[in-house]
Amino acid sequence: MRRLVAVALFPALLAALAGGALAQAPIESELTLITPVSKFIHDAALKAFAEYAKEKWNVTVKTNAIPAGTPVAYGRIVEWKGKPDADIFWGGESALFEKLAEQKLLQKVEISKEVWDSIPASIGKPKPIPLKDKDGYWIGTALEPYGLVYHPVKIKRLGIAEPKDWEDLLNPKLRGEVAQCAPTRSSSSNATYEVMLSMHGEDKGWQWLKKLADNTGHFTARSRDVPTVVAKGEYAAGFAVPSYMAFEEKLAGFDIKFVAPKNAFVTPEPMAILAGSRSPRAARAFVEFLLSERGQKVFMERGLFPITPKYKVQGAPGSTAELAVQFTGGVRSYFDGEIANIYDEGVAARRSEALKTRFRSDIESVWKKPN
Amino acid sequence: MRRLGYGAIWLFLLVFLVYPLLRIFYDAFTDEAGGFTVANFVEFGRDAYYVRSLWNSILLGLGTVAATSVLGFAVAFLLVRFDFRGRDLFGYLTLIPIISPPLVGVLGVTFILGRAGTVNVLLHDWLDVARPINFVYGIHGVLLVETLHLFPMITLNVVDALAKIDPALEEAAESVGARGWRKLRTITLPLATPGYVAGALLVFIWTFSDFATPLVLGVHDLLAAQAYLNIVQFVDRRLFRMGIVISALMVVLALVFLVAARRYVAIKDYSSLAYSRVARRRLSPSWQAAAVAFLSLVMLASFIPYLGVALASVGKGWSLTPFPVQYTLQYYERVIVETPKYVVNSFLSSGLAVLGCVALGVPIAWILARTRLAGRDVLDGLNTLILAIPGTAIGIAYIRAFHFEVPGVGFKLTSLWIVIPLVLCIRRLPYTVRGAYASLLLVHRSMEEAAASVGAPGLRSFRDVTLPLIWRGVLVGALFSFMTSLQEASAVLFLSLGGWETIPVGIFSFYIAGSANEAAALGMILIAVAALTVVVINRVAGTRMGGMFG
Repeated sequence: MRRLVAVALFPALLAALAGGALAQAPIESELTLITPVSKFIHDAALKAFAEYAKEKWNVTVKTNAIPAGTPVAYGRIVEWKGKPDADIFWGGESALFEKLAEQKLLQKVEISKEVWDSIPASIGKPKPIPLKDKDGYWIGTALEPYGLVYHPVKIKRLGIAEPKDWEDLLNPKLRGEVAQCAPTRSSSSNATYEVMLSMHGEDKGWQWLKKLADNTGHFTARSRDVPTVVAKGEYAAGFAVPSYMAFEEKLAGFDIKFVAPKNAFVTPEPMAILAGSRSPRAARAFVEFLLSERGQKVFMERGLFPITPKYKVQGAPGSTAELAVQFTGGVRSYFDGEIANIYDEGVAARRSEALKTRFRSDIESVWKKPN
Repeated sequence: MRRLGYGAIWLFLLVFLVYPLLRIFYDAFTDEAGGFTVANFVEFGRDAYYVRSLWNSILLGLGTVAATSVLGFAVAFLLVRFDFRGRDLFGYLTLIPIISPPLVGVLGVTFILGRAGTVNVLLHDWLDVARPINFVYGIHGVLLVETLHLFPMITLNVVDALAKIDPALEEAAESVGARGWRKLRTITLPLATPGYVAGALLVFIWTFSDFATPLVLGVHDLLAAQAYLNIVQFVDRRLFRMGIVISALMVVLALVFLVAARRYVAIKDYSSLAYSRVARRRLSPSWQAAAVAFLSLVMLASFIPYLGVALASVGKGWSLTPFPVQYTLQYYERVIVETPKYVVNSFLSSGLAVLGCVALGVPIAWILARTRLAGRDVLDGLNTLILAIPGTAIGIAYIRAFHFEVPGVGFKLTSLWIVIPLVLCIRRLPYTVRGAYASLLLVHRSMEEAAASVGAPGLRSFRDVTLPLIWRGVLVGALFSFMTSLQEASAVLFLSLGGWETIPVGIFSFYIAGSANEAAALGMILIAVAALTVVVINRVAGTRMGGMFG
């Protein structure tokens, strides 16, 4: 037992020594994210940042990510009670970030005023989507629509036109061919359910969602599984899929298509620094880096859109950036035109519980896999 | 010294096994404010979905036991009692399914039998079957995957039991005219029952606590799946608590089945330790062909997951073609060269865990086999209990139990890497104990008494006399602990820390991140290591590894 404690203490001692020695460095040498943003994006962002830190300060930053769905990530941060095992929380609904700030589990993102101001306060009409926190606790990093995906070959075999709008998913020929994730487990699904309720009104909205459930052949365990099962051809179409997840499948060599129909929810992928972070300077440097051109490029090459009007998705012909533009329907920037949005933060927050409860009672517990 | 050691073992088990388990019961019976309540269970009972999940889990467990029993018995019987061409080869092949790592097995199955799997693609391309046949999505798929994975547990245990049956008993039966089915029913099966029940219990608990397979196959109304899905909902405190309640229920149910099984037969029936020479009946050519065909079919089916995983680990953009069109090594490169941490961490964690297993397990085995120390029976019970506790429940128990700052140290055990080897050590301890115990029983006491008579104290005689005689058993047990530690996912997933992920955690996070190919590549690595371990175990122990699972 005593030996065990000694073994357990050893790394902590090392960490303490290392911490002391580096107290003078411009940024700390370790950075950990907790994030629902998939590996495809967070790995690339961390790698690019590590290279940048090496060039700029000659500091080798050991980067890490704890991948966790939005609810899990939120829950762990609350459980850490201000002594977090991570420095940065990235992704999910901005409402959750505000809940964390209320509990004093975030610190202000104290980056340079110039960078902060370069991000517009909001985007979208009639309901504006905030892109940064008015109190300074979180800031958006990239724009990303939650749309629908489909497998063109499967769609053709079913003898229907390629889906363009949400309604197309209700086509009786798609019975058993749609994949989606439960809104109780996925923030993209939750947000898109909310959009449907706002679009059709509460009663008609639920009718619509039940019809979608009738066409659904598979409720996946996680939202990331939706584009996976569609790309493979297990199912013909998928509901509420973040653009980059679909693009990742495209880059992996699959034949998959993406559409962001009208009113598709657009998330700013919020980012916040956790209160009690052991690497606050590295965390701030990471945020600033992501908002710089070099950082935004990481996103623009992976099916995400810049968070500021300063940049547009652009690249040499045949580059992944151009492929992304083609994939997401020719959009280069969400600031070029008007963005339709009816998702209302306040309404969503108020009915979030009711939405999950009703999903459980009206859909999950009665759903039967269609034959 | 000896008393101190015994105390240390107890302290370790109390802190890292008994306390966490008690903690989930405490959580299950309290409300948010900490007051005693049974409301959580009432809520469970009133929720039709949870109740349905409970019944589904029990039915699935029993169904899997039934299916694996038929398959497992048939295979075991053929292997032990009959002689035919390729018998040894089939003996080895039977081991294949047990080295299948979590999650990748079911992924492999979907690649071959899914709606867009090889079989459905061929049906479409060759026979113009318009709608894919649903082989796997649904509870029937879970039953299929679990059966193909777990039937060797029955086979191994039954092979072990059959090999220990004294032929004289069967000869006696024949001499009074009981032949064929009658002999099988009245003599052979009852004698094989203890081994069989031990295997069946493991099959039941494994199926009962597996959440990865049903989740991949889109089945959510099972208890383990609900425990997992609810526990990961930290935001919703009510659901979180229900997850704990479900884990507590799973532990209780596992205990009930364990006690029932133990009452039915004494699991540790070592009464006939010696393996008897079995006279094998040579089959007639046509029966030989039938036996070989049957076994080939079984092996082919159990090979499906591996075929799927192997293809996925090298196939790029594989969709709606029977086999991948493009091949690449990039996934292996990614998991070995770019992120070697999974492999490194796995060996580190499992290695440390096995050191712990040996340090604890050999003394425990010695106490059980050689002493009459107080509390020995409880120790024995605890050791069996570990096998029955679902990994999910243990992982959740650890989160609840060790999520506080250790006084005077300033950090939580749950945010320290050592928690992974610790939980692995506890969970895989029984294999080492069993390995050591079984060989201790074979070492005659008189040897140690002789050592004592010339003045060697207990520990010294243990080191100089006993250890050299039992190392083989200890090694086999330790290797089993090692292999199963490498494959452990359910307990570790809940405790995983950034930077300390093991291979199964890596498989999960790649899969969750949408990279089934990388998950498959990591899975292949795990399969290779496990296969190597099994070969070594086989070399050391011979083919009789059945006792290890009971």
